[in-house]
Amino acid sequence: MQRPILWLHGEALGPANPALLAYPDRPAVFVFDSALLAGLSPTTGDPEGPNEPVSLQRIGFLYECLLELPVSLRKGDVAEEVLAFARAHGAEGIVTSAGTDPRVAAICQTLEQQLPVEVLAVEPFVQLEGPADLGRFSRYWRRAEREVWASWGQEG
Amino acid sequence: MASDSLAGVPLAWPEQPGELPRRFDSRQALEAELQQLFPEAPGALSPIRGGRRQAETLLNRLQPERYAKGRNFLDGPVTRLSPYIRHGVLTLAEVRDAVFARTRSRQGSEKLINELGWRDYWQRLWQQLGDGIWRDQEELKTGHSAAAYASTLPADIDEGRTGLACMDGFIAELHTSGWLHNHARMWLAAYLVHWRRIRWQAGAQWFLRHLLDGDPASNNLSWQWVASSFSHKPYFFNRGNLERYSNGSFCRSCALREQGCPFDASYEQLEAELFAPLPAIRAVDHRNREGGRDRNSTRQGAPSAALSRPARRR
Repeated sequence: MQRPILWLHGEALGPANPALLAYPDRPAVFVFDSALLAGLSPTTGDPEGPNEPVSLQRIGFLYECLLELPVSLRKGDVAEEVLAFARAHGAEGIVTSAGTDPRVAAICQTLEQQLPVEVLAVEPFVQLEGPADLGRFSRYWRRAEREVWASWGQEG
Repeated sequence: MASDSLAGVPLAWPEQPGELPRRFDSRQALEAELQQLFPEAPGALSPIRGGRRQAETLLNRLQPERYAKGRNFLDGPVTRLSPYIRHGVLTLAEVRDAVFARTRSRQGSEKLINELGWRDYWQRLWQQLGDGIWRDQEELKTGHSAAAYASTLPADIDEGRTGLACMDGFIAELHTSGWLHNHARMWLAAYLVHWRRIRWQAGAQWFLRHLLDGDPASNNLSWQWVASSFSHKPYFFNRGNLERYSNGSFCRSCALREQGCPFDASYEQLEAELFAPLPAIRAVDHRNREGGRDRNSTRQGAPSAALSRPARRR
């Protein structure tokens, strides 16, 4: 992608972030998600429970992680702020990393209505072929453990 | 000390009006700024520092063999990496490789790798369940209906004044540091759900507001495991278990040390007190006894609230 900006989200605040690795010189932004911090999203609050805000210690921890990364900081509605950042830098697209939280994919969908979005995968803990049986941990681990330790053998 | 001033790494692009500050004279200055920026957020900064430097310091202290032996004790050699992993400061693959680099025999590192596997497992389930992670995965096995559980957190819990030295200690640590040893999380969760009969979702949300490593995957599914909506039976503990793995540190100073401790009983007595008779529970128990293991023995297949998972022993 030509001249993108990078959107960093709360699952990838380290140097292994694939967007930072692929585009080390492009402007990056992180947005403190007002709805999430207010307890209004399922990331931090029971959809059927009372809305209660996230503590300052969690925000402070994120902030200290972010100060060690080359990233501009904003707060508000994530998609709106990322798009405003993209406009300010004349970006032609947005690059981010895949997230487990469904909120990441939902925000990407909103962004895509305005600009192309490239989502890069993070190096997995273990690569499993086909769907894994997640009924209980033991079933998953029976398959995964062998694969994980195979990579130790390669290194050692 | 240089580490006291907090200056963000330089940016190669101009900052825009309205963007948040990236330079502070001290942690206190950061805290004051954040209190202004986020006035609705309760509490103060955690003594646990965010950032890659601190994560690498902890990573360099990994001792997989000592971890395997002592992880169930509150003062045991657990990694404390969970907040950094949750926010991708370290990827699970990086931690895996750091463990491998310190592995002489596979057996010595199996436990720690297994716990990383729990994290991966919960993440995969979150991907599959989406926001359904807030719903009971299965029926409760406590003999009580879902309606029997209170939907909100009582004030004495939120304020850490239950009168139980252990629980009030855990609550204070949750509120000030945002991190709890996994065993403490399990005891606190079991106390809420089974002794106080509170809906697990209320406890899960409370933890997510405060835990630096909080995400609905590890957190909610571990609460469900304690509650029994994602396990074959409810998790509970007794005083002997808590006293052992906390080295008696809470019981010594507890006002209820001589009498009135709600945990001071055998597992059989507590089971009768906490749960309504349910044929399925007895059947599961019976099978386990035949297998030579009681309900509180170590099991493969018990989940982890964080990266260390205590065995359930008397």
